[in-house]
This record gives sequence, C-alpha cells and structure tokens, in this order.
Amino acid sequence: MVAENSTPHLHSAVEPKQTFRRALDMSSRAAMPSLFIMLSAILLSAPFGIPGQAQLQFGIAMCTVWFWAHSRPRSMPALAVFLCGLIVEIFSFGPPGTVLLSLLVIYGVAHHWRYGLSRLGFIAGWLIFSIFAVLASFFQWALVCLHAVALLSPAPGLFQAALTIGIYPSLTALFVWGRRTFANPDQA
Amino acid sequence: MLSIHARQVLAKAVLPILILLAVGLVLLGLVRRPAVDGVRLMATDFMAPAYHGLVWPQERATVWLTDLRGATDLAKENARLREENRALRHWYDVAVALAAENGRLKKSLHWIPETVPQYVTGRVTRDDGGPYSRAVLLDVGSGHEVRIGDVALDAAGLLGRVTEVGPHTVRVLMINDDASRIPVTLGSSHGDAIMAGDDTAAPRLIFYPQDHHPVEGERVETRGQSTMPAGLPVGTVHYSAPNRPVVVPDADLDRLDIVRVFDYGDDDSQAPDAPGRVKVRKLPQNPLTGPLPFSWLPNLPDMPGRGGQ
Repeated sequence: MVAENSTPHLHSAVEPKQTFRRALDMSSRAAMPSLFIMLSAILLSAPFGIPGQAQLQFGIAMCTVWFWAHSRPRSMPALAVFLCGLIVEIFSFGPPGTVLLSLLVIYGVAHHWRYGLSRLGFIAGWLIFSIFAVLASFFQWALVCLHAVALLSPAPGLFQAALTIGIYPSLTALFVWGRRTFANPDQA
Repeated sequence: MLSIHARQVLAKAVLPILILLAVGLVLLGLVRRPAVDGVRLMATDFMAPAYHGLVWPQERATVWLTDLRGATDLAKENARLREENRALRHWYDVAVALAAENGRLKKSLHWIPETVPQYVTGRVTRDDGGPYSRAVLLDVGSGHEVRIGDVALDAAGLLGRVTEVGPHTVRVLMINDDASRIPVTLGSSHGDAIMAGDDTAAPRLIFYPQDHHPVEGERVETRGQSTMPAGLPVGTVHYSAPNRPVVVPDADLDRLDIVRVFDYGDDDSQAPDAPGRVKVRKLPQNPLTGPLPFSWLPNLPDMPGRGGQ
C-alpha cells in the first residue's frame, strides 16, 4: 500500500528538526480532510439557492471519508469521522443520525478493506463506493418513511446517491493531488 | 501508561462505540425529533450573521445582472410596464369601489371588526429542507413574539406555518412538505378540503366532498380553524391527472426572500355574537327636560332632542 509511505524520498536518515511550527503545520495538513468536510457542510447550509445543496453535503462527506479512510487513515481517524458527521448532522435537517451512521459504516468498510482496495483499480473502488452510497441513501429514505408512517417517493434518495457517485471521480482527483501536496504531513 | 495490548483493544473498540452512539442518535431522532431540531436551530441562530455575509456577494451579483438585463431592453420594458400600470389602475379603481361597498355592508350588518394581526417580516436565512422535507428558516431578529402555529405568507399567498421558534430564527414548514395538512375552502364550488403536501411543487387536495368535486381553476382559500384565519389566498385548483386535484400555490415556493409571519392569535375559537343577540339599549321615551350643560353658549343652534323642531 502506498498510502502510509507515499513519499519515500522524504524518509531519509536526516529528519528536519521537530519545532512547534512544524508540528502545527503537520497537524493542519493531517486535519485537512476533516476541515474540508466541516467547511463544505457549513458553506452548503447557506442559502445560495443551488439545487441539491443538501445532497451535496452528504455526497462530499461520503466521498471524503471513503477516500481518506483507505488511502491515508492517519489523516482520518474514527473520532474525526464522528466529529465531521456531527457537524454535518447539525447543519442539515434530514433524519437525525443517518449521515453520521452512514459515514461511520463507510469508514469501517474502507478502513478494514484498505489493503484490498489499494490492489483494486479506480473503477472497482468506485463501484464498491457506489453500492454503499446507494445503501446509505436507501437507509435514509427508509427512516424518513418510518418517521412519516407513509411510503414516500424514493426519487430524492436516488438523486442523492447519483450525485454522490457522480462527484466521486472529481473529488478523488483533488484528493490525490492533495495527498501529495497540501494535505501531506510528510512535506511539513 | 497503557500497555500495547490494551491500546490495541481500545483502538478496535472505538469504532463500534461510535457506531453505537450514532445508532442512539438515530433512535433519538425517531422518538424525540424536536430535541434534535432544537440543537440545529440553535446552530443556525448562531450562524445567521455569517450566512448573510456569505450570500451577500451572490445577492449583489444578482442585482447587477438584473439591472444590466433591464438596461438592454428599456423601451420594451417601459411599454410593458405602461400597459401593466394601466391594467393595475383599473384594478385599483375596482378595489377602492369594492372596499367602500364592503365597508358599507359591514356597517349595516353591525360587523364586529376582526382583530388586526401582529406580524413580523423576516428574510429567509436558509432553505432547510433536505431531500425529504420542505422548510425554510427565517431571521426575524430578537424580541419577536412569534409562536408555533403562526402563519407565514409571502407577497402572493400562503407559504406555511411556524413549527419551531428560536431566539432569532423561526422555522417555517412549507405547504408542500409531506407533513403539512391545511384545511381549505374552494372558491366557487364552496366545498371544504384538506390540502396535503407531498414534497412536490403542488400539494394535493384530499377529503373533498364526493358530490362536489373541485373545479379546475377555482380559487383555494384557507378555512378558519384554530390559529389559521379564513380567507387567506392559497392558490388555484389544477387537475394533474384525472381524479387528482392539486393546488398550484400563489406563493413562489422555490424562490423565497422576504416572508411575513402573522400572529392571528388563538382567541377566535369563541364565535362572535350574532347581531340578533346583541342587547340593544332602549332609548328613553321622554325627550330631555332639563337644560343641557352647554346651554349657556350664545347663538347655540337648536339641539335635537330638545323639542325645538
């Protein structure tokens, strides 16, 4: 797996001196994925009037957790996922707890299968992610139906799943670049 | 310091514990939804100034774009406005005449005047629906007296009702939300019905009398019930499919900006006295005999009731 040692040329015998500034830089780079989820959740809760804002909140959180949990788990520990999920829950008005639970489940899956996922290609990883995105949206829909005691149209849930699956490649491109540069603690 | 084994066990236990907490939150949401929504409302209250700052550039850009678009076809726009102004002038005259007639009729019927509703005006802070619900948050400032159940209207018609009240922000459940049920009256067929939201743009009409089906295009108004006053404009009836009447709302539910929240009070459960039951004070039979208190005034014209006619 390339995730843990993605920049082997930096692991030389001569390590830079551990100063306070460097520690701060490293931790901010490591916290970049979590900050990304929190900031996008807060920004997307503002009334911009963009169609699908609430669905984007969910999609961005899912993609980010999935990518970082399998490609650099040190940047996305379980507690950070929980905190991010809580922030998304607070700044959205869907059925409570569903986004948080979906994020933790997808984190567990990606973290557990990270070695297997790294051997698979991008398309296969995307397909597996898609299955979980659909399942999470279905779970949300089922809870809303249970709460409303009525069979609601599943169309909004399907739209959310489609949006989540659709933004995954572009977000992955951003994260792959970020993993090498601005979100790489080894480059601090 | 923990041993390596203990740390490994702890690391493995973290995720299941967090998942259990998340399941707890899901269950809490199912049984105590208002508690969770209260926390969300507090967060929105806290963020309201930041939201204004965030959307300010977008608002300015929209204003500039509208101005720019208006500047390109000024002549056509002027002609259209003149035409519209002429039509509005006609309707203004009609409205003034009707208001005068209404006033006369009310006077002759001893109409008990309705209480003037208190209202606050607020800007939509955030569209707060999510995939499965239709609601907005309004910033109404501090010191408001909005209560749960108050009625929200935009410039054209009914929008929804207040479901949660925070210190600065109130949440309005829109009429097309799945949880919304509004009693309505149909304008020309005079039937009553319930307008039920179904998360689409046009809420459905249900429970209408089977011998008086709603008529395509007729007006829909609210029926007076508890805090909901009668006669608020809601929309028009439209058949989206056979035997499926829906209401096309007057209010623009997709693009909300300024919204007024009216408090009609809940004291209209007592029916007003009918005119026949009003006690009429009998006038004295005999004309006034004693001198009037102002009879010392010089050149006083003949007073009615003094028998001077």
